[in-house]
Amino acid sequence: MMSRSKLATSLFILSEANFFAILIIAYVYYHAIGGGGPTARNSLDPWRTGAFSVSLFASSVTMWLADRSLRRGRRRGHQLWLIVTMLLGAIFLVGQGTEYAHLILSGVTWSANLFGTTFFTLTGFHGLHVFAGLCALAIVTLVAQTGELTERRRQAFEAVGLYWHFVDGVWIVIFTIVYLWAFI
Amino acid sequence: MNQVMAPGAEAALPASEPHEGLLSWVASVDHKQIGIMYMLGALVFFGIGGIEALLMRIQLAVPNNHFLPPDAYNQLFTMHGTTMIFLVVMPMLTGFTIYLVPLMIGARDMAFPRLNALSFWIQIFGGIVLYFSFFDGGAPDNGWFSYAPLSENAFSSLPGQNYWLLGLAAIGIGSLSGAINVIVTVLDLRAPGMSLRRLPLFAWMAFVNSWLMVMALPVLNGAIVMLLIDRLLNGNFFTPASGGSALLWQHFFWAFGHPEVYIMILPAFGIISEVIPVFSGKPIFGYGFVAASTVAIAFLSLAVWGHHMFAVGLGHLSEVFFGAASMAIAVPTGVKIFNWSATMYGGRIRFTTSMMFAVGFLLMFTIGGLSGVSFAVVPLDWQLTDSYYLVAHLHYVLFGGSIFGIFAGIYYWFPKITGRMLSESWGKWHFWLTLIGFNMTFLIQHLLGMMGMPRRVWTYPALPDWAAFNLISTIGAFLLLLATLVFIWNLFISVQNGAPAGDNPWDAWTLEWATTSPPAVYNFDRVPPVHGRRPLWDLAHPEMADEAMERAARS
Amino acid sequence: MPEISTLNPLSPFAAQISHLFVAMLVVLGAIFLLVLGIVTYAIVKYRDRPGAPPPRQTFGSRNLEIAWTLGPIILLAIIFVFTVQTMRASDPPISADDPLQLRIIGHQWWWEADYLKSGVIAANEIHIPVGQRWLLDLESADVIHDFWVAELVRKIDMVPGHPNHVWLEADRPGTYFGVCAEFCGNEHAWMRFRVIAQPLADFQRWQQAQLRVPPSPTGGAAAAGLKLFEHNTCVNCHTIAGTPGNQQIGPDLSHLASRTTIAAGAADNTPGNLYRWLKDPNSIKPDTHMPNFQLSDADAKALTAYLETLK
Ligand code: HEA
Ligand code: HEA
Ligand code: HEC
Ligand code: CUA
Ligand SMILES: [Cu+2]
Repeated sequence: MMSRSKLATSLFILSEANFFAILIIAYVYYHAIGGGGPTARNSLDPWRTGAFSVSLFASSVTMWLADRSLRRGRRRGHQLWLIVTMLLGAIFLVGQGTEYAHLILSGVTWSANLFGTTFFTLTGFHGLHVFAGLCALAIVTLVAQTGELTERRRQAFEAVGLYWHFVDGVWIVIFTIVYLWAFI
Repeated sequence: MNQVMAPGAEAALPASEPHEGLLSWVASVDHKQIGIMYMLGALVFFGIGGIEALLMRIQLAVPNNHFLPPDAYNQLFTMHGTTMIFLVVMPMLTGFTIYLVPLMIGARDMAFPRLNALSFWIQIFGGIVLYFSFFDGGAPDNGWFSYAPLSENAFSSLPGQNYWLLGLAAIGIGSLSGAINVIVTVLDLRAPGMSLRRLPLFAWMAFVNSWLMVMALPVLNGAIVMLLIDRLLNGNFFTPASGGSALLWQHFFWAFGHPEVYIMILPAFGIISEVIPVFSGKPIFGYGFVAASTVAIAFLSLAVWGHHMFAVGLGHLSEVFFGAASMAIAVPTGVKIFNWSATMYGGRIRFTTSMMFAVGFLLMFTIGGLSGVSFAVVPLDWQLTDSYYLVAHLHYVLFGGSIFGIFAGIYYWFPKITGRMLSESWGKWHFWLTLIGFNMTFLIQHLLGMMGMPRRVWTYPALPDWAAFNLISTIGAFLLLLATLVFIWNLFISVQNGAPAGDNPWDAWTLEWATTSPPAVYNFDRVPPVHGRRPLWDLAHPEMADEAMERAARS
Repeated sequence: MPEISTLNPLSPFAAQISHLFVAMLVVLGAIFLLVLGIVTYAIVKYRDRPGAPPPRQTFGSRNLEIAWTLGPIILLAIIFVFTVQTMRASDPPISADDPLQLRIIGHQWWWEADYLKSGVIAANEIHIPVGQRWLLDLESADVIHDFWVAELVRKIDMVPGHPNHVWLEADRPGTYFGVCAEFCGNEHAWMRFRVIAQPLADFQRWQQAQLRVPPSPTGGAAAAGLKLFEHNTCVNCHTIAGTPGNQQIGPDLSHLASRTTIAAGAADNTPGNLYRWLKDPNSIKPDTHMPNFQLSDADAKALTAYLETLK
């Protein structure tokens, strides 16, 4: 039987998956329709974003390493890997921030056309989730520095880890659809 | 007798912080207090939504009336529908769920008591946001499904629509976290012996319902986010002028909206599944089928949203699909109707007010369900959609169904919640006035719809019979006002002077009746042993314990 | 007996739906009576009486469950067959070479009718020849509207950016009430229209009249009215053939006087109502998009006189 907090997190993730599904459907639907103005093909740089994505994917691995350290009772390792995870996540967000700045300066905005609206909504909400995940990680990292490792805390660590993997998994889907699909 | 500790004891700790008076409610994390607050909040909003309905009915009482200007009328039906759905039926049923599920499964509280309180307050906040619109340029006025592009800036520039979106987003998040809490509670906190197959049917349906909420509410929130981006950031999602699709909003809204209507009925089915057996003196007929049909309904409800869009020109192929799926829902629902009837058959029926509302539910909901099937027959929908025939359908299922179920539940559990009985004689007045007023208001609307009266019209020309029929409907609405006043009066006097209830006034069987009325903060000293679906029956009739009898009957 | 319009079909399409509707009402009514019967029997027979024996504890019956699962399935399967059949009959498929006859455009809150063959542009009153099957194109200029004439034709939405098509036909000459059935803003209630089905000869006469450029009045109040029309902002929104006005933001007024109502059914087309409309459109149709020009009594009278000449 799953722990209570892991169960709740899984349900939360299920609801989040439904939420992202709707945003993705909107993106794909309008992608098919097209129209004038900026498109994924003429405004995105899959190589650059791909590089930053690797950072996010790597953070899933380090998250897993953190969990493993915890299971094996290596608390220092756990803390270190959490910090690395946060750093990698932050790098991804910086990448997204600069990408947005670049796009907006070249006139690709929320309101420019359907691509702009759907692109910024989808990736923006993902970015917000990464940011929320970073906040959760920061709290968890701080907590991990102090005091006993109670069962409750262990469950909280697990739950945050689960959520982080989810945010990562969603990006695989979004990256494939938004960045790769446009170029094949 | 080997009694056991109630699971979830450790989680209930925060409730034991002592608070006095009002603060003991505001700061409460006790599932019972929160459940009661949900119900009281819903009751207040029922009054508000009802008054909005009465104002509409006054406007419609005679043709070419100028009692209300069109925009006021449009705000009223939008707020009436939104209120009744999101601030009355949903929170009322959630209130029952939050109050009863821990008791029914023999737990001390919800899995996450603090989250439980948070869910409640977020929803109250959402309701306040929605109603604040009245003070900032007017309430939203695009109907409870706010079709784009009418709901876009180009056609609704006032902020009302934004309040609608923000209020519903808050309510959606609150109900979603509440639903997650319920699922974890049911999975994690059942008393020993309470296997999932022995869950009381109310708890079971609340559980399935919570899954449906986890699937459906994020869809609403996703759609809300998009419309908000359109409105606040000049996005293009649903603006045909810049290539957006007006129909995409409809798909998204109804992909939520149809599951939503079942979210508003499943817990009411649960209430009926508790009330009818107890007052018939028999276990529910076909427990397994009633339980399984709930799951079937939940699944099917995710695949029928297109039946709200038969007039938009989806193409016959998808219309046939959605029509067939909608018809399919009639099958598991029929299974329930027949099982409830069969439970009464051969029983010893006690006509308490609660039972009368349950029987009223059975018949009124059947009428609403059958008119629902007439919409699933696509060509009929082509004629009847968006007419008063639809208004009649939705009130037969929502009022004749959900609200009748809620009344049955209130008369049934009020003694448990307050320790006092509701007056049965006032209760009977309430029932008969409601039944008559309800049918007078809404039965005739079927005819108005067939005669060509569209919904959401602030006034209408004096075509033959329209005036008379509308007047009858309005008079019926005032009977409902009278009925509701009787009900409120009954609540009011019974809380103070009702006969003391005792632990188990109805000779019921589920665990909530094993504890005191009202239950102590920690719910149970000791949970009775659970060896079947009716633990208290088994205790009282050890020689006829359910599981043994059922096995004997089968062999 | 009231004339219930969906049950009083006057076109082959509406008739198909109506027949199925009556049959469904019977079937559904029978199901309700069945449930009502069972429940009433149980209530009467098994109500708690003093001294009644304790009820037997029964838990279910597999056979009964199968019966009341299969029964509805079979019934619904039959209903489904009729559903599909009636869909095809009441909304026949359209092939690429069926000619479009009429484009109806929904505006907040009135109807534009463009006759694609003859070039007639009408508003709020749609004339068709009786017994002919016309293919309509349905569009919207702003929000979603819905085209519905209960006695003749199914509802079909007019969705901006998503044109729909529907067949329109009337068996008998007559005037049929139509209405917008999708909520479209404040005056959704007064977005009504009429379909006037005429024998072919009458229809052609009407069409000829609509194509005629109305003669300009040469004297009196009407001539003053024409001036006012041309020099006020009227021309920014309205069309009158032979004047500079050629916009379709408001209804085409070239033959206003030939219509039976104004403002999409909100008032009868009488000189008095027209005058009232020009003085204060909101008094007839609150929140209409036609502005109030604060016309002087004399100007409004002159305009009325002019508009009354537009037969
Ligand atoms: C509690 C809420 C609730 C419930 C339970 C239902 C139940 C059903 N509804 Fe209803 N519906 C609404 C609330 C609900 N509805 C609302 C609010 C709207 C309007 C939204 C809006 O536009 O504002 C709506 C609109 C609506 C439409 C869209 C109409 C339109 O916009 O044009 C359709 C179309 O198919 C429909 C169908 C059904 C069906 C098939 C069922 C079925 O689940 C009914 C099943 C039950 C029975 C059939 C009765 C019992 C069964 C038997 C006795 C067995 C034997 C029966 C047969 C063999 C037929 N509903
Ligand atoms: C559960 C849901 C629910 C309930 C209970 C009701 C209850 C009622 N409804 Fe509602 N209705 C809807 C859900 C509901 N409705 C929805 C979803 C719509 C569609 C909206 C849309 O188109 O967007 C709708 C639309 C709707 C219309 C169509 C409007 C239109 O299309 O133009 C009408 C018209 O008659 C109507 C009437 C009524 C009436 C008379 C009642 C009566 O039964 C009300 C009875 C209640 C009272 C009379 C309350 C009494 C008040 C007191 C006792 C005061 C006490 C005070 C306090 C406690 C503070 N409703
Ligand atoms: C801003 C645009 C606008 C202007 C300017 C305008 N109208 Fe209108 N008019 C409308 C609209 C829109 C309607 C349809 C109103 C409705 O039915 O809701 C209408 C309707 C009418 C009608 C009724 C037509 C019918 O068939 O129902 C008349 C007559 C009319 N206008 C005359 C005038 C005159 C005369 C003027 C100038 C003094 C004028 N209008 C200026 C927009 C305008
Ligand atoms: Cu146009 Cu309603
Ligand atoms: Cu539905």
